[in-house]
Amino acid sequence: MIGATIGWIKGFVKPPKEARLDLRRRQLLACGATGLGAAFLFHTHPLGRKRSYNPDLVRPPGSLGEQEFLSKCIRCGECMKVCPTNGIHPTALEAGLEGMWSPVMRMTIGYCEYECTLCTQACPTGAIRALTVPEKQKIKIGLAYFDKNRCLPYAYARTCIVCEEHCPTPKKAIWFEDVQVANLAGEKVMVKQPRVDPDLCIGCGICVNKCVIKGQPAILVSSVGETRNPDNGVLLQSTNPYGG
Amino acid sequence: MAGKRRTSWVVWLRRAVQTAFLLLFFYLFLRTAYYPINRIGGPVTLFFQLDPLAMLTTWLASHAVAAGMLLSLVTLGVTVLGGRWFCGWICPFGALHNLFTSLRGGRLKARLEAGGYGRWQKAKYYVLAVFLTGALLGVNAVGWLDPFSFLFRSMSTAVYPALNNAVVSLFSWIYDANPGVGPVRVTVVSEPVYEFLRRHFLAVQQPHYFGNVLIGFLFGLVIAVNFYRPRFWCRYICPLGALLGVAGKNPLVRLNKDEEACNNCRLCLADCQGGGNPNTEQWKPAECFYCFNCKSDCPSQAISFGLGKRADPAAIRPVPAASFSGKGVVVK
Repeated sequence: MIGATIGWIKGFVKPPKEARLDLRRRQLLACGATGLGAAFLFHTHPLGRKRSYNPDLVRPPGSLGEQEFLSKCIRCGECMKVCPTNGIHPTALEAGLEGMWSPVMRMTIGYCEYECTLCTQACPTGAIRALTVPEKQKIKIGLAYFDKNRCLPYAYARTCIVCEEHCPTPKKAIWFEDVQVANLAGEKVMVKQPRVDPDLCIGCGICVNKCVIKGQPAILVSSVGETRNPDNGVLLQSTNPYGG
Repeated sequence: MAGKRRTSWVVWLRRAVQTAFLLLFFYLFLRTAYYPINRIGGPVTLFFQLDPLAMLTTWLASHAVAAGMLLSLVTLGVTVLGGRWFCGWICPFGALHNLFTSLRGGRLKARLEAGGYGRWQKAKYYVLAVFLTGALLGVNAVGWLDPFSFLFRSMSTAVYPALNNAVVSLFSWIYDANPGVGPVRVTVVSEPVYEFLRRHFLAVQQPHYFGNVLIGFLFGLVIAVNFYRPRFWCRYICPLGALLGVAGKNPLVRLNKDEEACNNCRLCLADCQGGGNPNTEQWKPAECFYCFNCKSDCPSQAISFGLGKRADPAAIRPVPAASFSGKGVVVK
């Protein structure tokens, strides 16, 4: 029995002809060079620079810092399937070729539902770490900003409060400034101009999703200020009462 | 199946097991959803946890592994001891390729030529080598070609949304047209069927994904190439298959060929899935999926699988040069 085991181990370490894979050393070295070369090449993509982030690359909540995220994500699509709002999509080249088919939030299709942590439960490798709902609600995945050339109160002197109404944070991250502006007839009218509070906004994107301007909404979310990459910051010091 | 022999019970057992795991995969896929609270409806990542390739590259790239993925060590251990059974019996992507491979027609001669080992089967080991060395430097791109990633990603972003769209369109069309004779209308039957599908299989809302066309095209491609070579993906591309091939290159469960009984008809190649050359003395354990088609097809019952007779460098007889050529099998 012991002899047979030793014989088998020997056969495994130095296999007989039939069990050999017949791989050529030169080809294997070429493959190794390809893998290493590709890695060095990927790392010299502009996104590989320090403090270089793609504003369109808003990852699901609980995603690790970008470099660690890419080392763990296996692009399986579990998070994309499980997202109840259809908000998580495979990237094309937003994260570089290296990150192709990793998850990215597309707020015009879906958004990050405030009470949901399904993607954090579904990730098999921990690239998106498991979160409780209260933990998730404190994590910023990005920050909303207005396109004043498209937003009704700014561009057309018309009142619209849709984004503020949908904002899910306990204290709304969108607030209004009452401003007196002139309309087409030259009359002075009061409009509520919406603003984003960078401390309160978690970047969930429901404002983008519900904005009455479709296609290219008047409010957008970029990755700046995301919790997972601390040096992708917008504020030197956060005063968010809910953490993050 | 070639010849008039009845299909062996082992083959039927293997088909049953494959079907069960394929259905389990689809079931877990459908359960990967809001059900109806903020909790996932089951062990939906089971197949990823059984995947030693994802575990290995993630560990190499990030120096950490999710605890659940340690389950893949069982897969690895079973393969080291027993061979690449995982590919032939468990893997749902393999089962899918098996299904489409079985739809191949063609003349027996062509099937015998396609069934044998070809040197391009080494390509998958080189694919594996590229991903492993990349992972050493933190680039974990294995998900592009990891079989479960490939299958699940294709299902979630391309195949399932398209199927959902097809089914909803079909039943909407039936509902609108509602053909029938007098009071007997088709919707009497179609609406309950639709209700059943909607409740158990269809998406709550039609899913839409960016990148779905490219992902769907690649999925269609790797399914279509099964008509070029049996289980093309598994033989030539799959890096998980390569890892299991390396692990299972000298297993305890082995193919034994009765040289006295064998009449060199090579019918064992007709339905060979992995291209492990069951017909020669150079049976290649690293390529064999243990599908038992060779055993089932053999008209002289010369092939059996069993423990023991494990490879001992000294015990291998020299191989007659005529029985094996690099480009496949010469059929007389």
